[in-house]
Amino acid sequence: MIVELGHYALVLAFALSLIQSVLPMVGAVREDSRLMAIAPPVSVALFVLVALSFAALTAAYLSSDFSVVNVWENSHSAKPLIYKISGVWGNHEGSVLLWVLILVFFGALVGFFGTNIPASLRAATLAVQSWVTAGFILFILATSNPFNRIAEAPLEGNGLNPILQDIGLAIHPPLLYVGYVGFSITFSFAVAALILGRLDAAWARWVRPWTLLAWVFLTAGIAMGSYWAYYELGWGGWWFWDPVENASFMPWLAGTALLHSAIVMEKRDALKVWTVLLAIFTFSLSLLGTFLVRSGVLTSVHAFATDPERGVFILVLLCLFIGGSLTLYAWRAPMLKQGGLFAPISREGALVLNNLFLTAATVAVFVGTLYPLALDVITGEKISVGAPFFNLTFGPLMIPLLIAVPFGPVLAWKRGDLLAASQRLYAAFGIAILACLFTLWLWGFERVMAPLGVGLAVWVMTGAMVEILTRVKLFEVGLSRGFARLKGLPGSAWGTSIAHFGVGVTVLGIVTASAFQEERILTMKPGDNVELSGYELTFDGVVPRKGPNYREDVGHFTVRTGGTIVEKMEPSKRLYTARQMPTTEAAIMTSWFSQLYLSLGEGRDNGAVDVRVYFKPLVTLIWIGCMIMAFGGLVSIADRRLRVGAPKPARRATPSPQAAE
Amino acid sequence: MMFWILIAVMTAAAALSILVPLARSARREDPVEAEQTADTAVYRQQLAEVDRDLERGLIETEAAVAARTEIARRLLAADERQHGAETGSKSGALLRLAMVTALVFLPLGSFGLYLYLGSPDLPDQPLFARLSEPAENQSVDVLVARVERHLSENPQDGQGWSVVAPVYMRMGNPKAAANAYANAIRLLGATAQLETDFGEALTVANDGIVSADAQAAFERAVALEPGAVKPRFFLALALGQEGKSEEAIASWSSLLEGADPSEAWVPVAQAELAKLGGTQMAGRLGSGEALPGPSAEEVAAASDMTDQDRTAMISGMVEGLAERLDDTGGSVDEWLRLIRAYSVLGEGDKAAAALTKARKVFAEDTSSLGRINEMAEKAGIEGS
Amino acid sequence: MIGIAGAVLAVAVGLILFALNDQIVFFQSPTDIAEKAIPPGQRIRLGGLVEEGTVVRSDDANVSFKVTDTVNSVSVTYKGILPDLFREGQGVVTEGVIDARGVFVADNVLAKHDENYVPKEVAEALKQQGVWQGE
Repeated sequence: MIVELGHYALVLAFALSLIQSVLPMVGAVREDSRLMAIAPPVSVALFVLVALSFAALTAAYLSSDFSVVNVWENSHSAKPLIYKISGVWGNHEGSVLLWVLILVFFGALVGFFGTNIPASLRAATLAVQSWVTAGFILFILATSNPFNRIAEAPLEGNGLNPILQDIGLAIHPPLLYVGYVGFSITFSFAVAALILGRLDAAWARWVRPWTLLAWVFLTAGIAMGSYWAYYELGWGGWWFWDPVENASFMPWLAGTALLHSAIVMEKRDALKVWTVLLAIFTFSLSLLGTFLVRSGVLTSVHAFATDPERGVFILVLLCLFIGGSLTLYAWRAPMLKQGGLFAPISREGALVLNNLFLTAATVAVFVGTLYPLALDVITGEKISVGAPFFNLTFGPLMIPLLIAVPFGPVLAWKRGDLLAASQRLYAAFGIAILACLFTLWLWGFERVMAPLGVGLAVWVMTGAMVEILTRVKLFEVGLSRGFARLKGLPGSAWGTSIAHFGVGVTVLGIVTASAFQEERILTMKPGDNVELSGYELTFDGVVPRKGPNYREDVGHFTVRTGGTIVEKMEPSKRLYTARQMPTTEAAIMTSWFSQLYLSLGEGRDNGAVDVRVYFKPLVTLIWIGCMIMAFGGLVSIADRRLRVGAPKPARRATPSPQAAE
Repeated sequence: MMFWILIAVMTAAAALSILVPLARSARREDPVEAEQTADTAVYRQQLAEVDRDLERGLIETEAAVAARTEIARRLLAADERQHGAETGSKSGALLRLAMVTALVFLPLGSFGLYLYLGSPDLPDQPLFARLSEPAENQSVDVLVARVERHLSENPQDGQGWSVVAPVYMRMGNPKAAANAYANAIRLLGATAQLETDFGEALTVANDGIVSADAQAAFERAVALEPGAVKPRFFLALALGQEGKSEEAIASWSSLLEGADPSEAWVPVAQAELAKLGGTQMAGRLGSGEALPGPSAEEVAAASDMTDQDRTAMISGMVEGLAERLDDTGGSVDEWLRLIRAYSVLGEGDKAAAALTKARKVFAEDTSSLGRINEMAEKAGIEGS
Repeated sequence: MIGIAGAVLAVAVGLILFALNDQIVFFQSPTDIAEKAIPPGQRIRLGGLVEEGTVVRSDDANVSFKVTDTVNSVSVTYKGILPDLFREGQGVVTEGVIDARGVFVADNVLAKHDENYVPKEVAEALKQQGVWQGE
C-alpha cells in the first residue's frame, strides 16, 4: 500500500504541478490577486507530495520490497542499512526522483519564506518552477518510473554496484543535486521577471540569497565528489576533467559569475541584461549536466542509464527550457532600461572583469567537454580532450582573475582609484612576495611556476584578510575599537572575505599538491623499504582478510620518520564476491595538511606487490578551501536572511487601511 | 479500503491547497499594492544601509551622497509606478475556472493517470513480512528462502538442514538436497535414515547412477541399521550397474527373501533380478521391464505408467546418458551401462554403435576393453 | 570597457582554438596504427582488447602487454598500477606515444568501472572489425 500511495502521490504532484504552471502565471500577468495567492500553498503541497513519494520509495528499499522493480534491481536484503538508503538515489530512477524532490523543495522554500518578494513575482516564479517540475515528473512517469511493480516478487535483489557502496557517494549526489537544481529557482526568477517585465535592483536583491544557497551546496558537493574520487578510485588524482565532473563544474563557474553580477545589479541597477542571461545560462548548464549524466551519452561511473529513449526525452526537455527561455530573453531583454553607469576602474568594473573571466572559463570547459561528443556525432572521429587542454585554457584564464580578486572589494563603486586600492594592498603584496621567495628557498628553481603559484595563492588569501582589516581601519583606530568594528561588519562583507580567502586556500592546495607531489611506483617484496619525502615505508607483507560481502588482500606497511613508527598503513585490493568485482582501497595518512597516499597493484607469486606511493603536500587544503568558500557563502546568506526574514516592512512603510474590496 | 481513503485524503488536501487561498485572499488587502510597497521597501532598506555604512565609516561621504541620490531616484520611480498602477480587476470567470480545475481536473486527472500507471491491487511485499508470514499461506519458494536465510545466519543448525533437504529433493534440486543432508549428517551425526537419504540424493543428482560416494553412504547406513531395506536396495542396484551381476543377483535375492510382496519396492527388485538373470542368458531379454540406473522413486514412478510412457521415459534417460558420455566421456562402467541399456531396449543398432565408440575410447585400456568385450559377448552385440 | 571585454574573449577563443589543435588526443585502433603510420612522439589513445597471454610483469611495476583488435596488435609498455578491471581478453584504452621502435609507451591505462564494460571507442572499433557482437 505504501508503495502505491507513493506512486499516487507522484501522479497527483504531476497534476498539481500542471495547475501550478498555469493559474498563478495567469494571475500574475492579469494581476489577479486570488490566482496569485494559490502559488505559495501549492508549492508547499507539491513538496509534501513528492517527499511522500520519495519516502515511500525509501520505505520500499528499507523493507526490501522486491515487488518494486527498482528495489529488486538495485538493492539486496543483505546490504548494510546506510547503503539501502543511499541505494534509493544510487540508480537512475531514484536519482531523477531526488532531482525533482529538490526542485520542489526550492519551490516550497520560496513559497514559504519568500514573503518579502512581491506577490506577482513570487507567483510567476513558482509557476515557472512548476513548468520544470511538470516536465521532469512527466519524464519520470513516462520513462523512468521507480514505482513499477512485479506481481511475482523475487526473493532476493540484484544488489548494488560495490563501487557505489561508499559513504562519499551516498552523500555526494544529494549535495550536488541541491546545488545543481537549486539554480532552477534563479532561472525561474529570471524567466518570471522577463515575462512580467520587471527587472531592477530590487529583483537582484530578492534573487541573490537563493543563488547563494544553491552555490553553497554546489561548492560543497563538488568538493566532496572530488575527495571521493581521490580516495576511492585509487589513482591519487583529485580532479580528472571528466565530463561528469565538468557537468557540475560549469554551473558552478556560471553560478559564481552570477553571484557577482547580481551584486552589481542590486547595488547599481546595472548589468541587468547580462545578469538575467547568466541566470538562464547557469540553470541551462545544470540541465545540460543532468542530460550528460542521465542520458548515458558519456559512459562512465555515473552513467547508469543507457536507454536512448530517456536521453531523447531529456534532450527534448533541455531544448524546450533553454530554447524557450532564450527566445523569451531575446524578445524581452531589449526593452530593459540600462541602469547606473560606471568607470572601468571601479567595483563594478572589477566584477565585470570577474564575470568575463569566469564566463570565458565556462566556455573553455564547455568546449572541452562537448567538442569530443560533437566531433563524434558529426565526423565519427574519436578524440579525447584531457587535462592538457584544460590546463592550457582554463589555467591562463584563472591567473588574471586571481590577481584581480583582492582588488575588487577595496575598489569604490562607480569610480574607483586603482592607486589608492593598490596602496591598501601593499602589505598583502609584500607577504605574497615573501611566500614566493620562501618557496624558492625551500624547493629551488626546479619548478619556476610553482613559487609564483604559491605567491598568487597567498596574495589572494592575504588580500582577503587585508580587505576586512582595512574596512574596520584596525591599524588606525586601535585594537579594541577595531574589534568592535569587526563585529559590526555586515555578514555580506565577512562572507566575501571568507569566500575569497577560501579561494586562496584551494589554489594553494592545488599548486603545492601538483607541483611538489612526490611519487614512487615500484614492486616491493616483504621487508623492502622505500623512502619518500622524509618518510620511510616498510612493506611487511600481504594478508588476506574477509569482509561482510568481499574478501581482500591487505598490504601491511609501517611508516617511520627518523626511525620512529608513525603509522601503520593498510591499503588493500578487494574483491566483492557477489559480482566478482575488484576494487582498490587506498590507504591515506594525513599529517597536518599533507597526505601520504598508498595504493596497491597486482600481487606477484613470490609475495611481492606493485605499490604506488605519493606524498601530496598540503593536498587537503584543496577541499578545506572549498569548505571555507561554502562557509563564506553561508555567512553571507545569514546576513541576508536577517533582513529577508524581518517582518514585512511594506506594511510599516505604507500602512494601507483601505484594503481593497 | 484504507488505501482508497488515503488516496482521497491526499487528493482532497491537494485540492484544498488551491481552494483555500482562492477563497481567503478575497478578504485580504490588495497584494498588487503590497507588492509595489515591497519594491519601495527594498530601496528604503538600501538607503538605511548606506546611512549605516557611512556612520561606521565604511564608505566615504562623497560616495554615500552619490549612492543616496541614486537609490532615491529608484525609490521615486517605484513610488510613481505604485500610484500609477491600477488595481487589477478580478475576473469571476477565471476564479470559477480555477475552482473547477481544482475540483474536477485534479482528482480526475491524477486518478485516471494513476489507474493507467499504477497497480492499486498489489500489496506491499516487504521481505521480512513475507518471510515471517504463517507457513500455510506461503509458497514453497518463500519457505525455502526463509530456511535458507536462517541457515546462512546459523549454518550450524543441523536440524534446519535436515528439514530443508527433503524439500529440495521434492523441488527437483537433488544437488542442494545432497549438500543439505551432508551438513545435517556432519552436525547431527550419522543415522541410517540420513545416510540413506544422502545417498539417494547423490544418486538422483547423478542421473540415477549410484556413485562411489553414494555407495559409501548406503554402506554406512547398512552398518548402522543392518536390516534397512532402502540402502540395501540401492546397493544391489549399484552392483547391477557396475556389471557385477552375480553379486547383484545375490543381493536382490537376499533382499527379496521374506519381503512383504505388497511393498512398493518389491516388484522393482523382482524386475531387476529378472533382468540380471536375463542378461546372463545371452541377451534374449527385451521386456523393457527393468532399466539401468533409475532411482527407486523413478522406478516407482515408472511402475505407475503405461507401457508407452514408460518406454519414453526410459529412452529419455538413456539418451541423456549417451549424450553425456559423448560430450564428457565417462567411466567404463557407464559405457557398459549404456550399451546394456540399448540392448535391453531392443535397440541393437544403437547398442552396436555405442559398443564401437566405447572400444575406441578405451582402445588403450586393456582391462576396460576386456570387460567391454566380455559384456558384448554376453549380450550378443556385435560392434565394428 | 568593451575593449577589455573583447580582448579577454579574443584571448579565450585563441587559447581554446590553440589547445584544440594541439592538446586533443585521437583515438586509434591497432589497425589504424598499422595503416596510418603515426609519427613517433604524437600522443594518441590506443584501444582494443588485451591480447590473451601477452601480459608480462617485471620489476618496479613495469608491465607490457599487447592490445589487439583481432586483426592487428600493438605492443604496449606501462609503468604503474593497472586499473582494477584490467584483464586479459577485456577491453582497455591506453594513452601515450609510440616510440622509435614502434612500441606504444603508455602513461595512462583505463578500464572503466563496470564488469561488462568495454570502452565505447573500443566497442565501435571492434564492430568495424566485425568482432564485437554486443548490442
